[in-house]
Amino acid sequence: MSWCLGGKNGDSKMSGIIEVEGLSFGYTPQSTVLKDVSFEVMPGTFLAIAGPNGAGKSTLLNLLCGMLSPRLGSIKIDGTAVESYRTEALAKKVAVVRQEFIPVFGFPVIDTVMMARTPYYSPLGFESRLDREIVAEALEATDTARFALRPLACLSAGERQRVFIARALAQNTPILLLDEPTNFLDLKHQVGIYDLLKTTQLKKGKTLVAVTHDINLAAQYCDAALLLGIDNGCQYGSAKDVFSIEQIEKVFGVKVFAGKIGQEKFFIPLGKFAKDGPQIAAKHYS
Amino acid sequence: MSMKGQLTARKLVIKVTVGLAVLLAAMSVCSFIGSEKVSLQAVLDGFGRQAAVNPDYEIFVRVRLPRIFLAAIVGAALASSGVVCQALLRNPLADPYILGVSSGAGLGAVIAVISGLNWTFIGRSPISVFAFVGALGTVWLVWFLGRLTGKFHIIGLLLAGVVVNTFFSALIMFLTLVAKSQQVYATIFWLMGNMVEENFLVLWCGAGCVVGGILVLFYIAPQLNALSFGEEDARSMGVNIGRTQLIAFGVAAFITAIAVSLSGLVGFVGLVVPHGTRLVFGPDHRKLLPLSAIVGATFLVVADTFARIVVAPAQLPVGVVTAIIGGPIFLILLIKYSRKVSWLK
Repeated sequence: MSWCLGGKNGDSKMSGIIEVEGLSFGYTPQSTVLKDVSFEVMPGTFLAIAGPNGAGKSTLLNLLCGMLSPRLGSIKIDGTAVESYRTEALAKKVAVVRQEFIPVFGFPVIDTVMMARTPYYSPLGFESRLDREIVAEALEATDTARFALRPLACLSAGERQRVFIARALAQNTPILLLDEPTNFLDLKHQVGIYDLLKTTQLKKGKTLVAVTHDINLAAQYCDAALLLGIDNGCQYGSAKDVFSIEQIEKVFGVKVFAGKIGQEKFFIPLGKFAKDGPQIAAKHYS
Repeated sequence: MSMKGQLTARKLVIKVTVGLAVLLAAMSVCSFIGSEKVSLQAVLDGFGRQAAVNPDYEIFVRVRLPRIFLAAIVGAALASSGVVCQALLRNPLADPYILGVSSGAGLGAVIAVISGLNWTFIGRSPISVFAFVGALGTVWLVWFLGRLTGKFHIIGLLLAGVVVNTFFSALIMFLTLVAKSQQVYATIFWLMGNMVEENFLVLWCGAGCVVGGILVLFYIAPQLNALSFGEEDARSMGVNIGRTQLIAFGVAAFITAIAVSLSGLVGFVGLVVPHGTRLVFGPDHRKLLPLSAIVGATFLVVADTFARIVVAPAQLPVGVVTAIIGGPIFLILLIKYSRKVSWLK
């Protein structure tokens, strides 16, 4: 299955900044995590990758940043296959925000963000004035400048996540990959992170790809969505189309109450003990 | 915005220069401390004279200076290698011996003694040559075994190191008991870490290798910083993981093996000096590597001076002294700075 958002009908073919074609992958020869996944992401798109645990979301992210190599098919970043990039060249195209990892030896915030400039350091290993300006800008944009000298371990989870986003921004790449950026965050900080991501998408024209479990926030902020199923199936399209009650109930295997307030769609999973029973879902869905 | 606390090349040069000045001062002071009193005037008189025996000059130039020089080389090598091992293994308990250098060197030394070889190689006894080869060979073996558990697999590497260390230690015990030779016990004493007088050719070669190694490690310091965040993060920041790990482990093992073949297994320096330096100066490897080397050199020069004088005319193994002075100093630093250090929380 293959979709392309925008520029569809062959006329004036704009090529995507990320092109995935017939991608299959498994960790062992017997197992298959991803099977025949194809999609194309246009520059400046905010793509959400959603799906149940074990569907291969993080695997797909690791394939996109070259940590893993496809078994079949191809992944192109900016027109060139991922595996033919040198590590340093790829780091100038793709920045990754992973799930939280606190180093054993605590670096302060500013040093952490400065590390994004490693591929740009002078041969002696020191940053230039330009590097410092870029880092200062990333700290400002993420509102992390006020605790720039604090060690990472002395920050809250939300602050730390903003620091890692600042580091990814300082890498100055057209593409940003994020693995569950709002994991462990409260409502306020979840919205804060998504606001920040959306702002960088709109202001800087960056392409964002976020693996997420939060379908409601993804539906609110993302343009495109890739829904990976556990049975190797996948749906790709605009976030509006992909996040529908039918798709979500099918892919996650739960009953869902779906509603709409104004233009915002939301989904609430209904368990065995839901007070009005799962059957209410269909009735309220418009 | 404020760039306070940011490392620049200029700040680093100043810190390193001050550090080197302190090291030189410590070396000069220590060279006049000892069981025999040496007068500076008598030493200076000795230069350029061949005929008359001048005991002050002989003690100073042939005994004290080489030994102080040796302590500085060994201290610098062990401390910077300790920094690298802690960074790559992301483990505060790592030291230069963790990947098998100690047991490999020990096994090499014991084999040399048992086989009764009797030759010298650039002034080195078979014991130190075998210890050097044994140390490097064992690190290679551990690296190879670690690789079998997976590329870039840190836990696999650590476990391979522990297992090989234990296995070789058992072999050392076995050989020692079977051989029943007085010399083997002497070897074990040598392995506890001892500074002995060396000829200057050996010292210059050792110093060249160690300083060269530290410069190479300094060159990959930004990559070591990125690696502190894990292989995946480092890779996405553009660090070639395989190459960095190979260079770092290779050079660290090489300079550790040199230190071990010069002076046996001096303990504690490679573990505590990196921590102490990190507590005071922060975790950035661009300053941690050169400053740890300087602190390690200074520390071992001072410790060895204590080893010479405390029970004079007998001498303590320097490893005993490093633990006795190093332990309390480290604890004081730990308590004083623990509030600003995150890995303690």
